[in-house]
Amino acid sequence: MFRSFVRATGWFPAARFNQILTITLLSGAVLDAIRNIFGLLLPALIPSWRFFKAVQPSPRIEWRFPDQNLNKDAQWQPFRPRPSHLSWATILRRLFWNPDWNDALYMDTCAERLTAHPTDQLQQEILARLFSDLPPKSHATALQFRLKFIDRADGLLQDHVTFISDIHPIPGNTT
Amino acid sequence: MSFDTALRLSEILLGWAILQASLEHLRMPHMPPPLFMLRAALAVLLIFGVAPHLVLPSLFITSLALLHRFQGPYNGGADKMGLLILTCLTSARLAPTLAWAELSLGYLAVQLILSYFISGQIKIVNAEWRSGRALADVFAYSAYPVSEDLRAISQRPYFTWAASWAVMAFEVIFPLTFLWFSTLAIALIIAACFHLSNAIFFGLNRFFWTWLAAYPALIWLQNRLIGL
Repeated sequence: MFRSFVRATGWFPAARFNQILTITLLSGAVLDAIRNIFGLLLPALIPSWRFFKAVQPSPRIEWRFPDQNLNKDAQWQPFRPRPSHLSWATILRRLFWNPDWNDALYMDTCAERLTAHPTDQLQQEILARLFSDLPPKSHATALQFRLKFIDRADGLLQDHVTFISDIHPIPGNTT
Repeated sequence: MSFDTALRLSEILLGWAILQASLEHLRMPHMPPPLFMLRAALAVLLIFGVAPHLVLPSLFITSLALLHRFQGPYNGGADKMGLLILTCLTSARLAPTLAWAELSLGYLAVQLILSYFISGQIKIVNAEWRSGRALADVFAYSAYPVSEDLRAISQRPYFTWAASWAVMAFEVIFPLTFLWFSTLAIALIIAACFHLSNAIFFGLNRFFWTWLAAYPALIWLQNRLIGL
Protein backbone atom coordinates (compact mmCIF):
# COMPACT_ATOMS: atom_id res chain seq x y z
CA MET A 1 0.00 0.00 0.00
CA PHE A 2 2.78 2.38 1.01
CA ARG A 3 4.76 1.76 -2.21
CA SER A 4 1.77 2.30 -4.44
CA PHE A 5 0.96 5.49 -2.56
CA VAL A 6 4.50 6.76 -3.12
CA ARG A 7 4.33 5.87 -6.82
CA ALA A 8 1.05 7.66 -7.26
CA THR A 9 1.93 10.82 -5.43
CA GLY A 10 5.75 11.06 -5.42
CA TRP A 11 7.52 8.85 -7.99
CA PHE A 12 4.97 9.08 -10.75
CA PRO A 13 5.23 12.85 -11.30
CA ALA A 14 9.05 12.57 -11.22
CA ALA A 15 9.00 9.75 -13.77
CA ARG A 16 6.51 11.66 -15.87
CA PHE A 17 8.71 14.75 -15.73
CA ASN A 18 11.73 12.68 -16.83
CA GLN A 19 9.70 11.19 -19.64
CA ILE A 20 8.57 14.61 -20.88
CA LEU A 21 12.11 15.98 -20.57
CA THR A 22 13.56 13.02 -22.48
CA ILE A 23 10.95 13.31 -25.24
CA THR A 24 11.55 17.06 -25.48
CA LEU A 25 15.32 16.65 -25.67
CA LEU A 26 15.05 13.78 -28.15
CA SER A 27 12.61 15.62 -30.38
CA GLY A 28 14.91 18.64 -30.21
CA ALA A 29 17.86 16.48 -31.23
CA VAL A 30 15.85 14.86 -34.02
CA LEU A 31 14.69 18.25 -35.26
CA ASP A 32 18.30 19.49 -35.18
CA ALA A 33 19.43 16.45 -37.15
CA ILE A 34 16.64 16.94 -39.72
CA ARG A 35 17.48 20.63 -40.02
CA ASN A 36 21.15 19.75 -40.41
CA ILE A 37 20.52 17.13 -43.12
CA PHE A 38 18.11 19.40 -44.96
CA GLY A 39 20.71 22.17 -44.86
CA LEU A 40 23.25 19.77 -46.38
CA LEU A 41 20.80 18.40 -48.95
CA LEU A 42 19.53 21.70 -50.28
CA PRO A 43 22.79 22.74 -52.03
CA ALA A 44 22.64 19.44 -53.92
CA LEU A 45 19.04 19.93 -55.05
CA ILE A 46 19.55 23.58 -56.02
CA PRO A 47 23.25 23.65 -56.88
CA SER A 48 25.18 26.85 -57.54
CA TRP A 49 27.48 25.18 -60.14
CA ARG A 50 30.16 27.80 -59.45
CA PHE A 51 33.09 25.49 -60.09
CA PHE A 52 36.47 27.23 -59.92
CA LYS A 53 35.06 30.75 -59.83
CA ALA A 54 38.52 31.69 -58.62
CA VAL A 55 41.53 29.63 -57.59
CA GLN A 56 41.29 29.45 -53.82
CA PRO A 57 44.22 29.07 -51.40
CA SER A 58 45.21 25.43 -51.60
CA PRO A 59 45.56 23.33 -48.43
CA ARG A 60 48.45 21.06 -47.49
CA ILE A 61 48.47 18.82 -44.44
CA GLU A 62 51.84 18.29 -42.74
CA TRP A 63 52.74 16.17 -39.72
CA ARG A 64 55.63 15.49 -37.38
CA PHE A 65 56.65 13.47 -34.34
CA PRO A 66 57.10 16.20 -31.72
CA ASP A 67 58.79 13.82 -29.25
CA GLN A 68 61.76 13.27 -31.55
CA ASN A 69 64.65 15.74 -31.91
CA LEU A 70 63.73 17.37 -28.64
CA ASN A 71 66.49 19.95 -28.93
CA LYS A 72 65.22 21.38 -32.18
CA ASP A 73 61.98 21.52 -34.12
CA ALA A 74 61.09 18.20 -35.66
CA GLN A 75 60.73 18.39 -39.41
CA TRP A 76 57.23 18.73 -40.82
CA GLN A 77 56.47 15.99 -43.37
CA PRO A 78 53.93 16.30 -46.20
CA PHE A 79 50.92 14.03 -45.74
CA ARG A 80 50.45 11.68 -48.72
CA PRO A 81 52.75 13.56 -51.14
CA ARG A 82 51.76 13.17 -54.78
CA PRO A 83 54.02 11.07 -57.03
CA SER A 84 56.45 12.82 -59.35
CA HIS A 85 55.06 10.97 -62.37
CA LEU A 86 52.16 8.67 -63.25
CA SER A 87 52.21 6.16 -66.12
CA TRP A 88 49.33 6.06 -68.58
CA ALA A 89 48.44 2.60 -67.30
CA THR A 90 48.04 4.01 -63.77
CA ILE A 91 46.00 6.95 -65.05
CA LEU A 92 43.70 4.56 -66.92
CA ARG A 93 43.36 2.33 -63.86
CA ARG A 94 42.52 5.35 -61.71
CA LEU A 95 39.55 6.12 -63.93
CA PHE A 96 37.96 3.00 -62.42
CA TRP A 97 39.79 2.67 -59.09
CA ASN A 98 41.02 5.77 -57.28
CA PRO A 99 40.18 5.44 -53.56
CA ASP A 100 43.39 6.95 -52.15
CA TRP A 101 43.22 10.05 -54.32
CA ASN A 102 39.54 10.63 -53.57
CA ASP A 103 40.29 10.28 -49.86
CA ALA A 104 43.15 12.78 -50.26
CA LEU A 105 40.67 15.22 -51.84
CA TYR A 106 38.35 14.66 -48.88
CA MET A 107 41.26 15.47 -46.55
CA ASP A 108 41.68 18.78 -48.41
CA THR A 109 37.99 19.45 -47.84
CA CYS A 110 38.45 18.67 -44.14
CA ALA A 111 41.45 21.03 -44.01
CA GLU A 112 39.36 23.83 -45.54
CA ARG A 113 36.46 23.18 -43.16
CA LEU A 114 38.80 22.91 -40.17
CA THR A 115 40.32 26.29 -40.98
CA ALA A 116 36.89 27.89 -41.37
CA HIS A 117 35.09 26.19 -38.47
CA PRO A 118 37.30 23.98 -36.27
CA THR A 119 35.53 20.92 -34.87
CA ASP A 120 36.78 17.85 -33.06
CA GLN A 121 35.21 15.58 -35.70
CA LEU A 122 37.26 17.17 -38.48
CA GLN A 123 40.46 16.80 -36.46
CA GLN A 124 39.63 13.15 -35.80
CA GLU A 125 39.06 12.55 -39.55
CA ILE A 126 42.57 13.83 -40.30
CA LEU A 127 44.19 12.14 -37.30
CA ALA A 128 42.67 8.77 -38.19
CA ARG A 129 44.37 8.90 -41.61
CA LEU A 130 47.66 10.13 -40.16
CA PHE A 131 47.74 7.29 -37.62
CA SER A 132 46.92 4.64 -40.21
CA ASP A 133 49.59 5.97 -42.61
CA LEU A 134 52.39 5.89 -40.02
CA PRO A 135 55.56 4.01 -40.95
CA PRO A 136 55.16 0.40 -39.75
CA LYS A 137 58.19 0.43 -37.40
CA SER A 138 57.55 3.85 -35.95
CA HIS A 139 58.30 4.06 -32.22
CA ALA A 140 57.07 7.61 -31.83
CA THR A 141 54.54 8.07 -29.08
CA ALA A 142 52.88 11.27 -30.24
CA LEU A 143 51.99 13.09 -33.42
CA GLN A 144 51.10 16.62 -34.39
CA PHE A 145 49.77 18.06 -37.64
CA ARG A 146 49.38 21.47 -39.17
CA LEU A 147 47.48 22.99 -42.08
CA LYS A 148 49.30 25.15 -44.59
CA PHE A 149 47.59 27.08 -47.37
CA ILE A 150 49.40 28.07 -50.55
CA ASP A 151 48.18 31.14 -52.41
CA ARG A 152 49.41 33.66 -54.95
CA ALA A 153 49.97 37.16 -53.58
CA ASP A 154 51.58 39.97 -55.54
CA GLY A 155 52.50 37.47 -58.24
CA LEU A 156 54.39 35.19 -55.87
CA LEU A 157 53.39 31.89 -54.29
CA GLN A 158 53.21 32.18 -50.52
CA ASP A 159 52.16 29.82 -47.78
CA HIS A 160 50.42 30.50 -44.51
CA VAL A 161 50.01 28.12 -41.59
CA THR A 162 46.40 28.38 -40.47
CA PHE A 163 46.17 25.61 -37.88
CA ILE A 164 48.53 23.67 -35.62
CA SER A 165 47.01 20.76 -33.77
CA ASP A 166 47.64 19.73 -30.21
CA ILE A 167 50.11 16.91 -29.65
CA HIS A 168 48.14 13.67 -29.88
CA PRO A 169 49.30 10.35 -28.41
CA ILE A 170 49.60 7.61 -31.03
CA PRO A 171 47.25 4.73 -30.16
CA GLY A 172 49.22 1.58 -29.33
CA ASN A 173 52.59 3.39 -29.16
CA THR A 174 52.10 5.25 -25.90
CA THR A 175 54.00 3.96 -22.88
CA MET B 1 14.86 8.65 -76.86
CA SER B 2 11.70 7.69 -74.97
CA PHE B 3 11.09 8.66 -71.35
CA ASP B 4 11.32 5.05 -70.17
CA THR B 5 14.58 4.47 -72.01
CA ALA B 6 16.12 7.66 -70.63
CA LEU B 7 15.04 6.81 -67.10
CA ARG B 8 16.39 3.28 -67.37
CA LEU B 9 19.70 4.39 -68.91
CA SER B 10 20.19 7.00 -66.19
CA GLU B 11 19.49 4.37 -63.54
CA ILE B 12 22.08 2.01 -65.01
CA LEU B 13 24.73 4.74 -65.27
CA LEU B 14 23.99 6.08 -61.78
CA GLY B 15 24.03 2.52 -60.42
CA TRP B 16 27.51 2.06 -61.88
CA ALA B 17 28.71 5.40 -60.45
CA ILE B 18 27.41 4.50 -56.98
CA LEU B 19 28.82 0.97 -57.18
CA GLN B 20 32.23 2.28 -58.24
CA ALA B 21 32.31 4.85 -55.42
CA SER B 22 31.03 2.36 -52.82
CA LEU B 23 33.72 -0.19 -53.70
CA GLU B 24 36.35 2.55 -53.36
CA HIS B 25 34.96 3.46 -49.93
CA LEU B 26 35.03 -0.18 -48.82
CA ARG B 27 38.76 -0.25 -49.57
CA MET B 28 39.39 2.61 -47.10
CA PRO B 29 39.79 1.78 -43.39
CA HIS B 30 37.97 4.83 -41.99
CA MET B 31 34.57 4.24 -43.56
CA PRO B 32 31.46 2.54 -42.17
CA PRO B 33 31.54 -0.79 -44.13
CA PRO B 34 27.87 -1.85 -43.60
CA LEU B 35 26.58 1.36 -45.16
CA PHE B 36 28.78 1.06 -48.24
CA MET B 37 28.08 -2.67 -48.59
CA LEU B 38 24.38 -1.82 -48.55
CA ARG B 39 24.88 0.91 -51.15
CA ALA B 40 26.92 -1.42 -53.36
CA ALA B 41 24.19 -4.06 -53.17
CA LEU B 42 21.47 -1.52 -53.94
CA ALA B 43 23.53 -0.17 -56.85
CA VAL B 44 23.76 -3.67 -58.35
CA LEU B 45 19.97 -4.05 -58.02
CA LEU B 46 19.53 -0.66 -59.70
CA ILE B 47 21.80 -1.63 -62.61
CA PHE B 48 19.74 -4.77 -63.20
CA GLY B 49 16.45 -2.91 -62.81
CA VAL B 50 15.23 -4.86 -59.76
CA ALA B 51 12.43 -2.95 -57.97
CA PRO B 52 13.75 0.54 -58.76
CA HIS B 53 10.77 2.15 -56.98
CA LEU B 54 12.15 0.62 -53.74
CA VAL B 55 15.87 0.68 -54.52
CA LEU B 56 16.02 4.38 -55.45
CA PRO B 57 14.42 5.66 -52.19
CA SER B 58 16.67 3.29 -50.23
CA LEU B 59 19.74 4.72 -51.97
CA PHE B 60 18.41 8.21 -51.26
CA ILE B 61 18.15 7.44 -47.53
CA THR B 62 21.70 6.04 -47.46
CA SER B 63 22.88 9.20 -49.24
CA LEU B 64 21.34 11.30 -46.48
CA ALA B 65 23.15 9.13 -43.93
CA LEU B 66 26.43 9.80 -45.76
CA LEU B 67 25.73 13.53 -45.88
CA HIS B 68 25.27 13.42 -42.11
CA ARG B 69 28.36 11.21 -41.58
CA PHE B 70 30.70 13.47 -43.55
CA GLN B 71 28.81 16.69 -42.69
CA GLY B 72 28.53 17.48 -46.38
CA PRO B 73 29.53 15.80 -49.63
CA TYR B 74 32.61 13.53 -49.40
CA ASN B 75 33.54 14.11 -53.00
CA GLY B 76 32.36 17.68 -53.57
CA GLY B 77 30.54 18.37 -56.83
CA ALA B 78 30.44 14.72 -57.89
CA ASP B 79 28.50 13.75 -54.78
CA LYS B 80 26.19 16.75 -55.17
CA MET B 81 25.42 15.84 -58.78
CA GLY B 82 24.96 12.19 -57.78
CA LEU B 83 22.47 13.20 -55.12
CA LEU B 84 20.62 15.46 -57.56
CA ILE B 85 20.35 12.65 -60.13
CA LEU B 86 19.25 10.22 -57.43
CA THR B 87 16.58 12.62 -56.17
CA CYS B 88 15.23 13.27 -59.68
CA LEU B 89 15.17 9.57 -60.60
CA THR B 90 13.49 8.71 -57.30
CA SER B 91 10.78 11.32 -57.73
CA ALA B 92 10.32 10.26 -61.37
CA ARG B 93 9.78 6.64 -60.26
CA LEU B 94 7.44 7.59 -57.41
CA ALA B 95 5.54 10.32 -59.27
CA PRO B 96 1.75 9.80 -59.29
CA THR B 97 1.39 10.84 -62.93
CA LEU B 98 3.56 10.82 -66.05
CA ALA B 99 3.55 14.63 -66.09
CA TRP B 100 5.18 14.78 -62.64
CA ALA B 101 7.66 12.10 -63.66
CA GLU B 102 8.58 14.09 -66.77
CA LEU B 103 8.97 17.21 -64.68
CA SER B 104 11.49 15.41 -62.45
CA LEU B 105 13.62 14.25 -65.36
CA GLY B 106 13.22 17.64 -67.04
CA TYR B 107 14.55 19.35 -63.91
CA LEU B 108 17.62 17.12 -64.03
CA ALA B 109 18.18 17.99 -67.69
CA VAL B 110 17.91 21.73 -66.98
CA GLN B 111 20.36 21.43 -64.08
CA LEU B 112 22.79 19.60 -66.35
CA ILE B 113 22.68 22.50 -68.83
CA LEU B 114 23.15 24.97 -65.97
CA SER B 115 26.09 22.97 -64.60
CA TYR B 116 28.04 23.77 -67.75
CA PHE B 117 26.65 27.24 -68.49
CA ILE B 118 27.05 28.76 -65.01
CA SER B 119 30.53 27.37 -64.45
CA GLY B 120 31.51 28.82 -67.86
CA GLN B 121 29.81 32.15 -67.23
CA ILE B 122 31.49 32.75 -63.85
CA LYS B 123 34.87 32.00 -65.40
CA ILE B 124 34.46 34.19 -68.46
CA VAL B 125 33.71 37.29 -66.37
CA ASN B 126 36.93 36.71 -64.41
CA ALA B 127 40.02 38.42 -65.91
CA GLU B 128 42.32 35.75 -64.42
CA TRP B 129 40.47 33.03 -66.31
CA ARG B 130 40.42 35.03 -69.55
CA SER B 131 44.19 35.53 -69.37
CA GLY B 132 44.83 31.84 -68.64
CA ARG B 133 46.40 32.73 -65.30
CA ALA B 134 43.72 30.96 -63.25
CA LEU B 135 44.25 27.63 -65.03
CA ALA B 136 48.02 28.09 -64.74
CA ASP B 137 47.53 28.51 -60.98
CA VAL B 138 45.40 25.37 -60.82
CA PHE B 139 48.40 23.49 -62.21
CA ALA B 140 50.96 25.52 -60.23
CA TYR B 141 49.73 25.14 -56.67
CA SER B 142 46.27 23.67 -56.33
CA ALA B 143 45.82 20.26 -54.72
CA TYR B 144 44.41 18.77 -57.93
CA PRO B 145 47.27 17.80 -60.31
CA VAL B 146 47.79 14.06 -59.87
CA SER B 147 51.58 14.18 -60.24
CA GLU B 148 54.32 16.74 -59.68
CA ASP B 149 55.41 16.75 -63.33
CA LEU B 150 51.99 18.15 -64.32
CA ARG B 151 52.87 21.34 -62.43
CA ALA B 152 55.20 22.21 -65.33
CA ILE B 153 52.08 22.92 -67.43
CA SER B 154 51.73 26.14 -65.43
CA GLN B 155 54.87 27.36 -67.22
CA ARG B 156 53.21 27.06 -70.65
CA PRO B 157 51.07 30.22 -70.86
CA TYR B 158 49.87 29.65 -74.44
CA PHE B 159 48.58 26.22 -73.52
CA THR B 160 46.76 27.39 -70.37
CA TRP B 161 45.31 30.40 -72.25
CA ALA B 162 44.03 28.22 -75.11
CA ALA B 163 42.70 25.54 -72.76
CA SER B 164 40.93 28.15 -70.60
CA TRP B 165 39.18 29.68 -73.61
CA ALA B 166 38.28 26.26 -75.02
CA VAL B 167 36.62 25.28 -71.73
CA MET B 168 34.89 28.65 -71.16
CA ALA B 169 33.61 28.93 -74.74
CA PHE B 170 32.31 25.36 -74.71
CA GLU B 171 30.55 25.78 -71.37
CA VAL B 172 28.92 29.08 -72.29
CA ILE B 173 27.78 27.85 -75.72
CA PHE B 174 26.51 24.54 -74.34
CA PRO B 175 22.82 25.61 -73.93
CA LEU B 176 22.63 26.52 -77.64
CA THR B 177 23.56 22.96 -78.63
CA PHE B 178 20.23 21.88 -77.12
CA LEU B 179 18.41 23.25 -80.19
CA TRP B 180 19.42 20.38 -82.49
CA PHE B 181 19.97 16.75 -81.63
CA SER B 182 23.11 16.50 -83.75
CA THR B 183 24.79 19.46 -82.02
CA LEU B 184 23.70 18.19 -78.61
CA ALA B 185 25.17 14.76 -79.36
CA ILE B 186 28.49 16.35 -80.36
CA ALA B 187 28.42 18.63 -77.29
CA LEU B 188 27.83 15.69 -74.96
CA ILE B 189 30.76 13.80 -76.50
CA ILE B 190 32.97 16.87 -76.01
CA ALA B 191 31.66 17.26 -72.45
CA ALA B 192 32.46 13.62 -71.69
CA CYS B 193 35.99 14.19 -73.05
CA PHE B 194 36.25 17.27 -70.80
CA HIS B 195 35.37 15.17 -67.74
CA LEU B 196 37.78 12.50 -68.94
CA SER B 197 40.58 15.08 -69.11
CA ASN B 198 39.70 16.20 -65.57
CA ALA B 199 40.01 12.57 -64.47
CA ILE B 200 43.41 12.29 -66.20
CA PHE B 201 44.91 15.58 -64.97
CA PHE B 202 43.17 16.00 -61.62
CA GLY B 203 42.06 12.48 -60.64
CA LEU B 204 38.38 13.44 -60.66
CA ASN B 205 37.19 10.02 -61.82
CA ARG B 206 33.87 10.17 -59.97
CA PHE B 207 32.84 13.35 -61.82
CA PHE B 208 33.25 11.48 -65.09
CA TRP B 209 30.94 8.58 -64.18
CA THR B 210 28.39 10.74 -62.32
CA TRP B 211 27.91 13.38 -65.02
CA LEU B 212 27.44 10.68 -67.68
CA ALA B 213 24.43 9.44 -65.71
CA ALA B 214 22.57 12.71 -66.33
CA TYR B 215 23.08 12.72 -70.13
CA PRO B 216 20.08 10.49 -71.02
CA ALA B 217 17.75 12.99 -69.30
CA LEU B 218 19.02 15.79 -71.53
CA ILE B 219 18.78 13.72 -74.70
CA TRP B 220 15.19 12.80 -73.77
CA LEU B 221 14.25 16.43 -73.02
CA GLN B 222 15.67 17.62 -76.35
CA ASN B 223 13.61 14.97 -78.10
CA ARG B 224 10.53 15.78 -76.02
CA LEU B 225 10.61 19.57 -76.52
CA ILE B 226 12.24 20.06 -79.91
CA GLY B 227 12.86 16.74 -81.60
CA LEU B 228 15.03 18.09 -84.41
